[in-house]
Formats: sequence, C-alpha cells, structure tokens
Amino acid sequence: MKQDYIKFPLHLIFHPIDAYWDLKSDNRGRMLVAFLALALTIIMMTLQKQYAGFLVNFTDPRTINSIVEIATVAVPFFLWCIANWSVTTLMEGEGRFREIFLATGYSLIPVILIYAPMIVISRFMVQEETAFYYLFNSIAFFWFLLLLFIGTMTVHQYTVFKTIITMLLTLVVMGIIVFLGALVFSMLQQLYEFGYNIYRELIFRT
Amino acid sequence: MARTVKRWLVLLAAVSLLLANAVPAAASSAPYESYNYNSWREAVPSPDAYLPKRTISGSDLGIGEFKDPSDVNVSSSGQIYILDSGNSRIVILDAEYKLLRVMDGFTREGSKETFNAPGGLFVDEEERIYVADTGNSRVVILNADGQLDRIINAPESDVLATDFQFQPLKLTVDHVGRVYVVAQGVYEGIMQFDETGKFIGYVGTNKVERDYGEYIWRMFSTKAQRAQMVLFVPTEFSSVDIDHKGFVYATNIDPGSNEPIKRLNPSGEDVLKRFGYFDVKGDIRFRNNTGPSKLIDVKVLGNGMYSVLDATQNRVFTYDDEGHLLYIYGGKGNQVGTLKTPVAIEQSGNHQLVLDRGKSNLVVYEPTRFGTHVNEAVALHYQGEDTEAVHIWQEVLKLNANYDIAYIGIGKSLLMEKKNKEALGYFELGMDRKSYSVAFKRYRREMMKEHFGTFLTAGIALIFILILARVAVKWRRRRQIDREAGLH
Repeated sequence: MKQDYIKFPLHLIFHPIDAYWDLKSDNRGRMLVAFLALALTIIMMTLQKQYAGFLVNFTDPRTINSIVEIATVAVPFFLWCIANWSVTTLMEGEGRFREIFLATGYSLIPVILIYAPMIVISRFMVQEETAFYYLFNSIAFFWFLLLLFIGTMTVHQYTVFKTIITMLLTLVVMGIIVFLGALVFSMLQQLYEFGYNIYRELIFRT
Repeated sequence: MARTVKRWLVLLAAVSLLLANAVPAAASSAPYESYNYNSWREAVPSPDAYLPKRTISGSDLGIGEFKDPSDVNVSSSGQIYILDSGNSRIVILDAEYKLLRVMDGFTREGSKETFNAPGGLFVDEEERIYVADTGNSRVVILNADGQLDRIINAPESDVLATDFQFQPLKLTVDHVGRVYVVAQGVYEGIMQFDETGKFIGYVGTNKVERDYGEYIWRMFSTKAQRAQMVLFVPTEFSSVDIDHKGFVYATNIDPGSNEPIKRLNPSGEDVLKRFGYFDVKGDIRFRNNTGPSKLIDVKVLGNGMYSVLDATQNRVFTYDDEGHLLYIYGGKGNQVGTLKTPVAIEQSGNHQLVLDRGKSNLVVYEPTRFGTHVNEAVALHYQGEDTEAVHIWQEVLKLNANYDIAYIGIGKSLLMEKKNKEALGYFELGMDRKSYSVAFKRYRREMMKEHFGTFLTAGIALIFILILARVAVKWRRRRQIDREAGLH
C-alpha cells in the first residue's frame, strides 16, 4: 500500500526516467494516485489564491469561484490527455491512454509538494523575500514540465526531438478540440433555438 | 392559473424595482456623481468632496457678459483676476466675489493699448499682473495699479527658427521673476524668460510616445505616403502652475501619455511622485470613444496637493503629493456645478473656482465635510503630523468606509507609534503592500525577539522526542526479533 501509493510517486519525481519506465512496464502506476494528484493540484491552486500572503496575493477575493478553479485545471488536464493520445496514436507512440493519464497525473506531484509549504511560508514573508515565493513557484512549474516531458518520452518510447514535436502538436490539437467543441456547442444552441422558436410559433398560433 | 402566477410575478418585479429605487444611490444635491477608484481599478461611488455653491457671470457683476474667458488667477492677497479674452479685459474681484475693478488696457508711452485675444494670466506676490497677450505676440506685465511695468516681446535666439511665431498661451512666474510661458506650436518645452525678459531656454520636454503599429505601417509605405502621414512630434503643454518651492507643474493633452502631469525641477526634469495605485492621469477607466482625460489646467493647492482639470469629461481630479487620487468632482452638463467647456481651475480660500468658457461664467465650488476632512488630513500628513491626522482620517472613514488613503494614513501613524500589528490591518484594508511589508518586518522581528527562547526550547524538545521515539522503535523491534528467535 505505502509502497505504491506514497513511496513510488515520491521516488518518481526524483528519478523520473527509471520510475516512468517502471510505471509503464511493471504496472506500478495507480489511477487513484493520478486522480488524487489532479484533485490536490486543484485544491492547492485554490488555496493559494485564497490564503497566500497579502504581499504575493493579487487575487481579488470577490472573483474566486471554485467551479472556475476546478475547470481551469481539470479541463486542460483532460484535454491534454485526450489530445496527446490522439496525436501519439497517429505518431506511433507506444503509450495507452491509461499510461498517458498516469504520466500526466504523476507529473503534477511536485506542484502539490511545493505549493503547500509555500502558501504557509508566504504568509510570513516580507517584500524582499517574495522573490523566493516566485522562484519556488517557477521551480514547481518547470519541474512539472520536465516530468511531463520525460513521462511522455518514456511512455511513448520517443526520442527527445520527437517528444518536443509531439508535445507542441498536442497543444495545437488541444486548440482544435476547443474550437470544434465551441462549434458544436454553438450549433447545438442554434438548433435548440430553432426548435424552441418553432414550438413558440406553434403554441401562439392557435 | 398561469395567468395569476404571471400577474404575481409582474407585481413582484414592480415592487422590487420600487424597493431598489427607494434608497437613493447617494443622498446629495450635487448634479454629478462623485466616485473614486479602488485598488482593483473599479470606479466606486464616493461622497462628494466639493459641491457647487454659486456661479458668477458678467451680468451678475453688472459689467456685461464675459466673452470667451480663458483664464483665472487668484493672487496671494485673495483677489480674483478673470481674463475676459473676448472683451480684452481683466475683471478683478475680491475674495467675496464682489467686483473691484475692470482693466481693459494699459497706457504705453502716452497712448492706450489693448490686449488681443489674451490666453492666460498670472498674478505674482506683489500683485503684478502677467498677461499672455496671444494675439499681439507678447507678454505684458502690469503693476498692481494697472500701469505698464514691462513687456516681453518675441524672443530672439539661435535656438529659435527664423520664422518663429511667438504666441504665448499660459504662463506662470516664480518668486525671483522668471517667467515660464507655454506658447502655441512650441514642442521643445516651456519657454523660460529671466526677470529682465531675456529668453533663457526651454524646460521640460514631452517625450514622443512610440507607437509600434504605426512604426511597422511606416516601413511598408512609400515615400509619398509617408510624407502624407502625421509627424511624430512631442505634444505641447497645455498649462503651467508653480508651487511655493519653485517647482513648475505642467499638463499636456497627449492622449496616449501616462504622464500628462509633470512637476519640473529647476533643471527641467520631471520629479512628480507617482506612488499611487495608478498613473497620475485623470480617469483610469474610460470608454473608447470618449478617450482618456485631456488635462488642460493644473492648480497647485499647497501641502503637496494639486488639482487638474479634465476637458474630456469636464471633471476635476485632485491628487496628493505622493500621487494618490484624493477625489473627483464635476461633470458635463448645463446645471449649476456641471461644466460645458471648462478652461481653467483656481483656488480661492477653501473654494475651488472653475472658469467655464462655454457658459461664460465662473463656478464656485465649496468643500463638503468629506472634502474638508480629506484636505485637512492630507495637509497634516504632508507636514509630518501623522498622529494628529489620525482622528481626521477616522472622521473621513465614517463618511466613506472605502477610502483607502485614510486607512493608509492611519496605518502610517500607527507604524510611527510602533504599533506594528495594528498597522498591518490598516495597510491591508488600504491595500498598501509596500507599507504592509515594512510593518510586517518589524512585527516579525518583534515576535522573534519575544519568542525566540520558546522556539528554541520547543525545537530541541522535538528533536529529543524524535530521537527517543526512534530508539524505542528500534528496541521494540529487536525485542520482537529476539522473541521470534526464542531467546526469551
């Protein structure tokens, strides 16, 4: 239990190349951990907006909305997984959807681990020390990017160059998905409006 | 059934509308809505700082209507000088707005001369009247009883173009008699003349704002097209005023500028403090088709405060010496207190005067309780009397609980008294991160000093307990192994 759910993720963030391979070949990854990482990231992002120290917190408290907070992390996360799966399927990636999901989820762990103490510490910082806050936030972000990169590379068994191309393509595909989604949504809405208008014409024409 | 529900809904809506309107948004007699900006760049309602008291027109004074009045100035003795340009005369009122006399010219070498569309005037401490006689390309200086003192004619200098047209618009004079003139079509800055009327040079220049879109567009256009385009020249200044230290305040109407107000030191550098949340430029938020504020006049009020007049929305913005926006009043309209074409702002006692060319009158604004308190508190803060300012700030907060500057003011005073923890709360309410950081640093050090021993004891105890726990676990494990091995 402890081995797979706590020790392995912690091992992974420091030894990503080995651990991602273990995740793929030995089936060490757990969906629960990935989901938990996503949930915790959302919670940390929200906590940061609400509770980070006054000197580093520029969020208007009136604008914080949990649904929006959840959507801003979860939607890109799932979009990434789907887009990455779509791209890599065409580009001879060896990863299955489950592996992509695990790799992405596990790479969020440094964000959680760094954000949590930084929220507390930021409350005891003065202006000159806020640089550290921003530094650690950037470290968390780049660590996440690095893990995501290595994860993608290992899971699909790509070369470095191909990984970069794939990741960029994934971003493009994410955009396309959003565009298509908006298109479908708008069309559905117009269909609904059309139907509703016909309905209204009918009921008022008695 | 559905009908009754509908009827009820309509009734409910009507009632809610009535209720919503029952409480007036701001119980005031002002013909305009006062507001201020909070730190989230939102315009929020604010109590009125100034209310219109009366207007003064030429017929009120019994001297015929003003015609295109262009400037007003209050001398140190309290006399109000109105430059009635269209009628080429200067109307002088006393501090009670009673007519003292009218000056419609001066005698020069025995013959009478008049002004020609003068644009601005200034009265110095010895009641000498400086008139920017735009149409006659000269600056006329009259002494207190209207006799000609001297005339500054078009300057001759190597730095001036040969076809230079001297058309002074606005002017101000420092205490040694140097004259600062804003002239038409002069982009180099404010023209400076010494006390004998000799041209010294320019002070302060508006920088050209680079527009990269325009720059790229320019790269693709032909020479003929480029010749048709507007030139990138710095904008002219619109008005000047001077504070008692001799710093020249100048405004310009450059629409893209974030620094339309300048405070020029003797060497012509801009030293205006801009420590507020926003740029010192009038309105922060505005509709695109209205555009940003066009600041056409500035008045130094003393104690570091200054008011600027905006010709886009006809409002007056007042700032303190650190660049915090204190209050906004005025607006467009035809009622008493709203303005049609304002041209100049002045201060007479605690009244503020705005000259309205469109309505040919002078509007007198009187500070409200809120405005008076703010002015007092800012003055006390400027003079370093922060503790005395506190209770005035508290009064201000009773009138406007959203007044950030009051919170900051109280916080600063608390900080001075070493009440760091209390100060923290006030700085947070005032959203002043810089001062908050200072207060917090002191508070943290205080806490550390007080509790360092406790921290250390707790830390050592914790380490000790951890070691103990570890030993205990090891010991138990060994016992278990021993037991399994059957040693007991």
